[in-house]
Amino acid sequence: MAEYAPVDLTVENQVEFELDGRKVTAPAGTMLADACYAHGVEIPIFCYEPRLGPPIGACRMCLVEVEGMRGLQTACSTPVAPDMVVRTTTDAVKEAQDGVLEVLLANHPLDCPVCDKGGECPLQDRTFKFGPGQSRFVEPKRHHPKPLELSDRIALDRERCIACFRCVRFSQEVAQDGELTMQARGALSEITTFSGDAYAGRFSGNVIDLCPVGALTSIPYRFVSRPWDVQNTPSICGLCPVGCNTELTVREGRTKRVTGRPDPNSAVEEGWLCDTGRWAYDASWSDDRITGAIVREATGDRVAGLEDAVDAAAALLRGRTVGILAGTGATVEEAGIAADLAAGALPGAIVARMGIPGGALAGLRALPGAQLGDIDDADVVVVVGGDPAAQQPIVELRLRKARRFGATVTGCGPRPHLIESLGAFTRTVPGALADGVAAVAQAIAGATLPVVLWDEADLAAEPAAAAALADAIAANDAARQIELGADVNGSGLRALGLPTADLVLDAVREGRVDALLLVHAEPLDAPGRTAWAAALQDFAGPVVAIATHPTATTERADLVLPALTMWEQDGTLVSMNGRVQRLRPGARGPEGAAAGWELLVALAHRLGAPPPYRTAAAAFRAVTAGHAAFAGITSDTAGILGVPLAAPAQVDGASAPAPAQGEGLPLVATREVYGGTHARRSASLASTAAEAAARIAPATAEAQWVRDGDRIVLRSPAGDSGLLTVRVEEGWPEGAVFAPLGAPGAPTEGALPPDMAPVLVQVVRVEAG
Amino acid sequence: MDADQIRAHLDPIRHEFADPRSLVMPALKFAQTEKGHLTREDMAAVAEATGYSPSFVESVASFYDRLYTRPVGNRVVSVCITLSCMLRGSDEVWEALCEHEGVDHHHGGTSADGRITIQEAQCLGYCDRGACIQVDAEETQGPFTPEEAVKLVEELREAPTPAELWR
Amino acid sequence: MPILNSVYRHREAGKTLTALADYRAAGGFKALEHALGEMEADDLQYAFVRSGLRGRGGAGFPMGRKASFLPKDSKLPKYVVCNADESEPGTFKDREIMEMNPFQLLEGLALAGFAIGAARGYIYIRGEYEHQARILDAAVLAAREAGFLGTNILRSGFDYDITVYRGAGAYICGEETALLESLEGKRGQPRLKPPFPAVAGLYGSPTLINNVETLAALPPIVTNGADWYLSMGTEKSPGTKLFSISGHVVKPGNYEVVLGDTTLRELIYEHAGGLREGRRVKAVWVGGSSVPVIGEEHLDVPLDYESLQGVGTALGSGGCIVMDDSGCIVRACLRLATFYRHESCGKCSPCREGTSWFERILQRMVDGEGRMEDFDLLESLFRRVSGKTLCPLADGAIAPIRSAITLFRDDFIRVCQEGSPRPDPMLPATVG
Ligand SMILES: Cc1cc2nc3c(=O)[nH]c(=O)nc-3n(C[C@H](O)[C@H](O)[C@H](O)COP(=O)(O)O)c2cc1C
Ligand code: SF4
Ligand code: FES
Repeated sequence: MAEYAPVDLTVENQVEFELDGRKVTAPAGTMLADACYAHGVEIPIFCYEPRLGPPIGACRMCLVEVEGMRGLQTACSTPVAPDMVVRTTTDAVKEAQDGVLEVLLANHPLDCPVCDKGGECPLQDRTFKFGPGQSRFVEPKRHHPKPLELSDRIALDRERCIACFRCVRFSQEVAQDGELTMQARGALSEITTFSGDAYAGRFSGNVIDLCPVGALTSIPYRFVSRPWDVQNTPSICGLCPVGCNTELTVREGRTKRVTGRPDPNSAVEEGWLCDTGRWAYDASWSDDRITGAIVREATGDRVAGLEDAVDAAAALLRGRTVGILAGTGATVEEAGIAADLAAGALPGAIVARMGIPGGALAGLRALPGAQLGDIDDADVVVVVGGDPAAQQPIVELRLRKARRFGATVTGCGPRPHLIESLGAFTRTVPGALADGVAAVAQAIAGATLPVVLWDEADLAAEPAAAAALADAIAANDAARQIELGADVNGSGLRALGLPTADLVLDAVREGRVDALLLVHAEPLDAPGRTAWAAALQDFAGPVVAIATHPTATTERADLVLPALTMWEQDGTLVSMNGRVQRLRPGARGPEGAAAGWELLVALAHRLGAPPPYRTAAAAFRAVTAGHAAFAGITSDTAGILGVPLAAPAQVDGASAPAPAQGEGLPLVATREVYGGTHARRSASLASTAAEAAARIAPATAEAQWVRDGDRIVLRSPAGDSGLLTVRVEEGWPEGAVFAPLGAPGAPTEGALPPDMAPVLVQVVRVEAG
Repeated sequence: MDADQIRAHLDPIRHEFADPRSLVMPALKFAQTEKGHLTREDMAAVAEATGYSPSFVESVASFYDRLYTRPVGNRVVSVCITLSCMLRGSDEVWEALCEHEGVDHHHGGTSADGRITIQEAQCLGYCDRGACIQVDAEETQGPFTPEEAVKLVEELREAPTPAELWR
Repeated sequence: MPILNSVYRHREAGKTLTALADYRAAGGFKALEHALGEMEADDLQYAFVRSGLRGRGGAGFPMGRKASFLPKDSKLPKYVVCNADESEPGTFKDREIMEMNPFQLLEGLALAGFAIGAARGYIYIRGEYEHQARILDAAVLAAREAGFLGTNILRSGFDYDITVYRGAGAYICGEETALLESLEGKRGQPRLKPPFPAVAGLYGSPTLINNVETLAALPPIVTNGADWYLSMGTEKSPGTKLFSISGHVVKPGNYEVVLGDTTLRELIYEHAGGLREGRRVKAVWVGGSSVPVIGEEHLDVPLDYESLQGVGTALGSGGCIVMDDSGCIVRACLRLATFYRHESCGKCSPCREGTSWFERILQRMVDGEGRMEDFDLLESLFRRVSGKTLCPLADGAIAPIRSAITLFRDDFIRVCQEGSPRPDPMLPATVG
């Protein structure tokens, strides 16, 4: 884990001080531990972790000598001062380091050989580097029945705990879930949850990264590997549009672990991950993973080798007019190569992207944007619409931090959500978000450095609110905005200039295309699936799908090409607020599968129009050429930490959505990253899976003659939803229905139109609860 | 005890603290008066009444010697064993009481009939009356010889608990 | 002319002053009336500084200086917190003041509050002092009814009230920042300093923290003047001090002595009635258990801060524990080690692990399984822990043991070889 805060030695106002006889500088206020580290002097630490808030000085590992101060000082809590004379290698310091390590090890088991942390353990490393030669502790060590399961995913070996308080501070101060605490006192102190309940935090896994010993370990990773048997690769998380920077631990070709980066990306996730991003990786070897090409023939399905399958795909598509759809999670390379096919291998193809048209959002997207890290400096943070905790999880931690730093957090929107506890929020009725915007405009106007986060889906559906919000932001020169995107690579697809899927849908309906190529696109599982199902009913042409897991869409396909997941492939994703970041392949992926972009390149070869690139990096350069948003950006400049797009990811010509159609109640959908799709696909996250529930406020439920637990179908002009369970809950606005996207069988998606335009639904009770 | 009872107890003193978190301790002490110790439900109720997480409340409760997160007997007899009292025979008092109540000599414990808990206490601030004993959260008494201490416990066994007296 | 040698009015009056009328008859609340009516807050602070009154909680820091550290221009409310956690082994002087003379403490708190412009005073009293807490509760009520607390006190425009807050059993809550944490409803674990409480204390506000005995000394200082106070005691140790004496003495109890005027021998033999027949002093912890132990050779040391320091110990809290030659020093050290192990809050590693380790080594010694290398081990551990912890508790654990090993090394060696037979305690029946 990152341990020391980065220190900028180039900014003005450097304080000069003496470090072990050298004259060095650091910005005023820098803690000695960080300042020394920046000058190549490692002060050992355990409890210090600048991301957890002010230092607590508990472990006493970092003692150094400061001339003129009585006794030794904790470097983690002593800021540099002009002309300070600091000594880190004197006998007194050495003695203190020996002493602290000796007492920490007194009761620490000597089980490094069987400890998961062995080899990457700060306690182990620091003992070698700074510690006493041998232990003089002859008494029996403290013993606990081992290990305790804090949750399905986290094990606690209490005897290894050195009581550094990091996990407790994370839970209390950063995640603010209130779950982990230190109980009892003195030598009996131990980390627990309330009466031993499971640790139910949504960011719980971060405590594993934070633990400087092997006390908190990941159960899915327990005993899986040793640090010297694995490769670690910096990558990013492709489960939601935030794009947290991750590190993949790979052994024997498989991703065995995902952790926060040792050097966090302070512009994005600051080293934290949500539990979904941390543990969903086992989905890449789930039982239903598509590991070989599937060819559907009259006699039944046939599993084919990759070469054969690509040949078969080329045969199916050759000479046809193909509709090509890039899914919301397709990488820039995949979508870009697919788009290039239209110019060469598949002339006349119509290429489009899944996702929200967002015609109403052009004004907002053109306004000055911010990175998530900029929220730290804001005095006012405004959240308009959405449910960040569910849809863009890490944003929750950013907002909690802003609140801790004294920012005012406020906002408006239709859904009650977790962030609302951080400040004053206005609840709006669906369709009247503009009223909420009016309420927050004041806060934006009065702020010195406001950051406005706005939800793509909610504002796309309400053009009036989007326009009003754009005006409010534009009125304050200092204001910046962050789009809370709906789709993993929505920005990337827009930056490539791809039009929306209705283009292909219409072409299918009208018989203007006679084949479909779906690149991680799942129209039969997405909003508008009813319309797609109808259109494909009579569609005689071949459907070729590039996919990783079976869905209703792959069921319908004539040929499925097995692709790699985000943990296995190279590629580029653009985060919701336009940060270009690279996926790097951790694992190899199944033998019979290949990266989507490679499959497309191979297809182009077979079709006789080989593209001029062979690597993902070259493909990126080629497919982004000519798109202003990508000007000057290459895989190299994106580097390890990514770069913002050169221009907003806009699309021309997308029109504002039609006014709500149908009669009944407005239906508002929420994407559930936490507890949603990924939780259902990953064995280790199974216990977090949320039910597919339609949430309705009490009076509305009564008016609709439904009760908690009833099973219903929502009927809109776009079609019928699947079965949803009614949950009658206070706090939701009356006169509306709220339902999740991504539930198994995509129930909610059935009642939505392809462009996610607002709909009104009728509630049809199917079963009494 | 439920959150409403706790809230009602806290209402009169709420204004005395700029931060409502200060109410956690009075709430815990009050909740403990009902059963003599704090149950999971008690701590959850304190959490609800004060607005802090149950885990936080438990971490506070478990820090202090006189808040019990495990069941205790009807009467809790705390024998001071710190230096001054030791010099005045508190070890002898302690052993006599453990013997008499049939509990572990090292850790103390609760008598089989559930009436009496014998526990060690660190300096109770009554060193001038060592060996001293505190009963429940009430006044500390002393000095005691082992015989007198046993007599005291016998009386306590028969006497109603403060809680019983109030009802 | 007030009598020279008593600061605490119940001692002067020779009776309990729990009734407001009695306290007033003994001169009570005159100081507050005088201060509110005729003094500026700064004058009052100056009087405290001039009196030379030193904190009676253990560290002996000048009270007036501490009060002057509070920022004058802070926008935050200020608080006075009275440390009534009195948990130092051997110390029970604050108990007497609260039990017999609660109003003097309240008056002192009100004076301190006026001097610093405080919004409220808190008395953090250890949970075990439930009886004393109730006396304080009643006194606060009575004082408020009589107009000495509450809004517009004595029509001076000064609003100030006092809250009695009960702890729940943790010695560490006597440490000032741990006390504040506890008063804020958290686990009583010390905070990193700086910032000091004077700048950021209770709820992050400037806070003055003083011991019961310190605050209760303020009313007579205001009434009689700083000179009166200075005229007692020595230059560095003005005034009187309550000594709690316990252990192997015939008349354990509290005795108020003028600092520097009385020797330890006089305290033990004249005030506390001496030892049992035929017994000699073996060891004395003069200032509570957290100070180095001294032996018979230092009995003639005058009781004041500087003289006690001169013989290698400290006045501390004034909780004087006496052990005669029937006691075993190793056993005594083990008992103290157990105390500190039990009371370590567990926040910082050297103390959390170190105090357990000390105890286990001493236990081995008492069991006759001590090794000669344990002396070096202990000394080395002391060196490694002492001064390296977050708060001074660990130093308090080390001081009595380290000094005992130096002073009584032969006893330790003997015990290591033979174990420590259980000594014959001084049972209450033998009290004179
Ligand atoms: C471990 C520890 C325990 C303490 N216990 C007490 C105590 O019980 N009562 C007290 O007045 N001061 C105690 N103190 C001292 C306080 O921290 C603080 O110095 C004192 O309350 C200041 O008041 P004074 O200046 O009036 O002495 C303790 C200090 C430490 C380090
Ligand atoms: S020295 Fe002991 S009591 Fe003080 S902070 Fe450290 S662990 Fe807690
Ligand atoms: S790192 Fe400084 S005390 Fe722990």
